[in-house]
Amino acid sequence: MSTAPTVGDLVSQPYKYGFVTDIETEKIAKGLSEDVVRLISAKKNEPAFLLDFRLRAYRQWLRMTEPDWAALGHAPIDYQELIYYAAPKQQEKKASLDEVDPKLLETFDKLGIPLSEQKRLSNVAVDAVFDSVSIATTYREKLAEHGVIFCSISEAVKDHPELIARYLGTVVPSNDNFFAALNSAVFSDGSFVFIPKGVACPMELSTYFRINSGDTGQFERTLIVAEEGASVSYLEGCTAPMFDTNQLHAAVVELVALDDASIKYSTVQNWYAGDEKGKGGIYNFVTKRGQCRGDRSHISWTQVETGSAITWKYPSCVLQGADSVGEFYSVALTNNRQQADTGTKMIHLGPRSRSTIVSKGISAGQSSNSYRGLVQIGPKAVGAKNYSQCDSMLIGDQAAANTYPYIRSQQPDAAIEHEASTCRISADQLFYLQSRGIGFEAAVSMMVSGFCRDVFNQLPMEFAAEADKLLALKLEGSVG
Amino acid sequence: MMASLSDTDATALAKGMATAPWTQRFLDGLQAPAGELEAVQWRGREALARQPLPSRRDEDWRFTDLAPLLAMFDGATHTACSPFSSAGASALPPPAPDTVRLLLDGRSDPLAGQSLPAGLSLLGEGEWPLALGHTLAATGCQAHWPVELNQATASRCLALRVSGAVAPTLELVSVAGADVSGAAEAEAGAARIGQRLTPVRVLLLLEEKASLNVLQVQLGHGPCLSSLVCEARLGRGSTLRHGLLAFGAGEACFLGHLAVEQELESRLESVWASRGWALSRFEPRVSQAEGGAHTSLKALQLAEEHQLVDTHSRVVFEGPDGQLEQLHKAIADGHGRSVFNGAVKVPRLAQRTNAAQLSRNLLLSNQARIDTKPELEIVADDVRCAHGATVTRLQQNELFYLQSRGISAAVAAGLLKRGFCQEVLRDLPAAAAGWEPLKRLLAEA
Repeated sequence: MSTAPTVGDLVSQPYKYGFVTDIETEKIAKGLSEDVVRLISAKKNEPAFLLDFRLRAYRQWLRMTEPDWAALGHAPIDYQELIYYAAPKQQEKKASLDEVDPKLLETFDKLGIPLSEQKRLSNVAVDAVFDSVSIATTYREKLAEHGVIFCSISEAVKDHPELIARYLGTVVPSNDNFFAALNSAVFSDGSFVFIPKGVACPMELSTYFRINSGDTGQFERTLIVAEEGASVSYLEGCTAPMFDTNQLHAAVVELVALDDASIKYSTVQNWYAGDEKGKGGIYNFVTKRGQCRGDRSHISWTQVETGSAITWKYPSCVLQGADSVGEFYSVALTNNRQQADTGTKMIHLGPRSRSTIVSKGISAGQSSNSYRGLVQIGPKAVGAKNYSQCDSMLIGDQAAANTYPYIRSQQPDAAIEHEASTCRISADQLFYLQSRGIGFEAAVSMMVSGFCRDVFNQLPMEFAAEADKLLALKLEGSVG
Repeated sequence: MMASLSDTDATALAKGMATAPWTQRFLDGLQAPAGELEAVQWRGREALARQPLPSRRDEDWRFTDLAPLLAMFDGATHTACSPFSSAGASALPPPAPDTVRLLLDGRSDPLAGQSLPAGLSLLGEGEWPLALGHTLAATGCQAHWPVELNQATASRCLALRVSGAVAPTLELVSVAGADVSGAAEAEAGAARIGQRLTPVRVLLLLEEKASLNVLQVQLGHGPCLSSLVCEARLGRGSTLRHGLLAFGAGEACFLGHLAVEQELESRLESVWASRGWALSRFEPRVSQAEGGAHTSLKALQLAEEHQLVDTHSRVVFEGPDGQLEQLHKAIADGHGRSVFNGAVKVPRLAQRTNAAQLSRNLLLSNQARIDTKPELEIVADDVRCAHGATVTRLQQNELFYLQSRGISAAVAAGLLKRGFCQEVLRDLPAAAAGWEPLKRLLAEA
């Protein structure tokens, strides 16, 4: 764009979470084999069923090939060059935060994640995951009063094995795809949430993921179960230090909603995206899926994707129950050389199931941003409805915005509507705002935030403000 | 992924991959290459031998199972040849006024006993071999399996130059599965393949400011394959109005490629209607070589009984200021399955492109299926690109409205269906109106 050439000279804001915490870490040797899978399981003292689950997944993974259908290009990943288990060296879970390594606490402080409960004003319970291991979970007692279980997966395996055995791998089976199989074999930690029948979770739950080591893959697994009539809102945030090499992140998230249950899952993903030349950054291959098992159940995904060198992520809803509802609200921003292939799947199986998809893609720099979504209406989904809208905003003439909506219907009594549009920040609009005394960057940021409003409205308050700021930061210097 | 066939070719070669057994049997059943396209046939056969058969593991062929087609040809070399009904050929309607009809079967001379109207001339011996395949390459489909299949078998090509405005409509008719090619091929398995496959190859070169109306009619009856490869190059400021009626019956299959290269300020208006094929795959591919051209694509496809109808379109803007209007309509009934994949590519240099694509689908039965996938790839920032897709049954409120005016439910449904079809069909060239299958479609709907 020819307007305001000065903006092009602005230096991009550096990635402010790019520091490395110097902390003693326990790592196992590089590479993946059946022994490594056994070792991980042994380190975590897992029951036999979980080891079987891992080994089955590992054997399935060996027979699978990396998917290549996404509009992504990256150097081949050498799975034997990665470390599959890294944990900050400290004793088992501490009784209180005072015992946690102060360096770790400092790290989370720097990230703006207050773990110390007394300082915390807002009503959010936090589980912090550092490399592969959950460090601390706050507000546990208060949650327990309501019967809500919020802990790391490792603890859940010890304390509630029956729940893990009943639900783990039932939404995303271990052979679902290449990355899910890898995760099922080597996952080290993650969060577990269980909301019993009829309970509305009294506070927002949140997990922060932090990759620290340079050569570690992060494979966390999140499982959220909402029983009949329960409801919960869950937030997830991610950051990683800057390295020249690429790090692999292959997570699996499973949500289960029974009759009348409601789960709202929000993500602000701000992994390190690599530098302007595309060096370094996280490869983010994530499988997220929610199952609306019960009638009138409700699952809502909201995501703000700003980081990662590569994003491969399709949070999905399987709408099994009658009158179940799936929602997907997404803002994906790519800048520099980032590549994102992201979207959702709405699989309508139950009668009168409804879904809404709102996807906003912003591409700047030389990045590539693809929306790939599937809306599938099965033969029994009588009266199902879907509405999808995916809009792209292009900033500069070197970024790519691709749209690949797949629509498949086998039910005549279902209505599917899909619309998509492409726009840019027009010189006229900028001029209008600037002529009212609004600075160039502020004007751009205003327009971007207007473009994303439908999605930000879905985010919890403090996240929405954060996301707005994050987008402005990420775009700094890219317009002009 | 669209251009991946040549890549698979290369890997197949590198790996020294053996020819697929079906392909080997098919090639063995063919007569030796001959005629004006001998060299092309050789090349096509070599390419087929190297290429694996399209499989549902390829993203491009995910929904399209070639099994019925393959089985049909395997049968051809083993079972006795049943006499084909020649009803198709003899039952052609008289040409509409101001229409020049040519019969194409890929073997005999379409111009026998015919003269071309003013403005149309055959490309010379020295010209067409150079021009043939150019547009296929420019639109990236020269190595597609259906194209190679056509190249391997067609021994004739209708190659025409268009200068100035050609007044009459050119009607190109191909009837597959009917015994139109005479008694010359009444023996041996080779002849049976010949009878089951009608490969039509057309090349049109429109000179600057030329204009032409073409109606292609592809018919097929019984176990046969109607194969069409049509290339057109539109010179600056030229206009091509292209209509395609593709109507099959019974086990008939259709594989078609329409490749068009457009220069600045040229106009392509293509309308096609397809119905009745057990398996149909049509791939219109347009390249606006310098942008600045106008492309309009309209389609209606019906998938009934156990039919599978697949359209894979692709429009690429290689320069600024291009325009596209695309409307793709499909009706799936019975156990039918309709597939649409519409790619639109807007690279960096295609600023100020204005492209709109709409896929509208009617799903009328519980056993039918619709798969639709618009595909937009945009890099230029100053563009208007919109696409939309809907899948529904007939609108209840519209039915109710008609019924409340005393129209029976069945008639009301017919009216709505006809309205749905007419939005496309009314833009077909006038010459299309005389064709029986089209009349039937309108009467039934």
